[in-house]
Amino acid sequence: MIEVLTRIDLLASSGATPWHRASALGKLGLALLLILLAVSVPGLRALAALYAIAWLLALTSRLPARLVLAASGYPIAFSLLFVVGRWDGTWRTPLMLVLRPLAASLVAVWLVGTTPYPDLFAPLSRVLPRGVADGLFLTYRALFELLERVERLWSALRLRGGTSGPPRRRLTAAGEGLGTLVLYGFERSQRLYAVMQLRGHSGRVCGCRHYAEASAADAWVALAALAAAAAALTLWRAG
Amino acid sequence: MHLHIPDGVLPVRLWLPGLALALVLLAWAARYAARGRQAVAYQGALGALALAAMALEIPLGPLEYHLTLIGPLGVLLGPAAAFVAVFIVNAILALLGHGGLTVVGLNALVLGAGAALARPTYRALAGRMTPAAAFATATVVAQAVSGALWLALVTYALRLPARAPDAGGFGAGFGAPGARVGLVAGLAFPMALVGIAAEAAVAYGIARFLGRVRPDLLPAPAAAVAGARGGAGPAPEGRPA
Repeated sequence: MIEVLTRIDLLASSGATPWHRASALGKLGLALLLILLAVSVPGLRALAALYAIAWLLALTSRLPARLVLAASGYPIAFSLLFVVGRWDGTWRTPLMLVLRPLAASLVAVWLVGTTPYPDLFAPLSRVLPRGVADGLFLTYRALFELLERVERLWSALRLRGGTSGPPRRRLTAAGEGLGTLVLYGFERSQRLYAVMQLRGHSGRVCGCRHYAEASAADAWVALAALAAAAAALTLWRAG
Repeated sequence: MHLHIPDGVLPVRLWLPGLALALVLLAWAARYAARGRQAVAYQGALGALALAAMALEIPLGPLEYHLTLIGPLGVLLGPAAAFVAVFIVNAILALLGHGGLTVVGLNALVLGAGAALARPTYRALAGRMTPAAAFATATVVAQAVSGALWLALVTYALRLPARAPDAGGFGAGFGAPGARVGLVAGLAFPMALVGIAAEAAVAYGIARFLGRVRPDLLPAPAAAVAGARGGAGPAPEGRPA
């Protein structure tokens, strides 16, 4: 997961496809439309069409297929629980149960894989309470630093025998290691607070303002939204 | 094992009220919780730590367990700030395809309910046992509550009729009266028990370390808080008490 997260974040900032150039607000709208359609269409063909559109978006964004599969395949395990619980002897229900979350997570991965996080969080921060919006930025900002530290901690635990022995000992050792990161997080928050004060922080973390700046690339977003709406309406109950 | 429910397996009549309730609670929690930028930064750091810890794969026999750390988050941040942190963690995970955007409210409610109980439990127990044991017990309570809510939600969803009388596909559930709820519970229950034990052991380690090097980061027991304040009301959340 660490590698997937890091690569998605890098691709979001370094990509140069029309999807990367399109406005974050437009992409957010398209993603919400696709997800709402995917979780609500009753027809299997409509759902398959939406899933195909989601794959088209992901592949034309030049996101590596293996990365997209790894990131968007997470819901399968949970969906299988529902497939088992609701097995009715047909293929339709299990397919719907698996395709719906897969389509939605694929769209989410396309969105974060083509939109740098300040642009993505900026429109969200306009509608969320101030403390939550600031927390969203600060959490994501702290994440990659802590991911690196967690990786190093895990390597150190393995090398020093912290991953051998009875589970209780292993887990307690992992907990003590995470305790060092809690402490680091607290000290980091003190440093960050001091830096924010020194820079004359106004009391609100704001993303950059070009999340809503439309460009020619937004025509592709509009086209994709039209295609998704047309596919869903045409095939609403088919299959 | 994560408790995050993905998009598309729950009907709108479950996730929409869940999202609305979570947003109302979020607005309240954000007002009550982190007062001050340092508290927001600490909340962000602990939320990021929970996300980073979820990336760890802890081998437990044939299973690979992913931590959630809702107990430690709840004890260290307090109910309101922990709910905000849990909501943010779920929103970021949903954007990465883990969990769902439509069910971000329900996921936050399920995990946030457990996290919200952690600090009161810790405070009640800290005077009677060691801080590490109280921390681990609070984590057990948090995990058990979240696990029970998750199972109740899944059970309810499985029992919903396959096609609701309200509009088109929007109200459609996948459940049926004959759904194998027992089988699902039988699969989920052992995993939940493993999760509770793993999280409690990790929480014990976190508290043991903090107790040695920075005991001030752990909340004070309920009796000490009442004595110190003379009943002046609860401590501000989002920072150590």
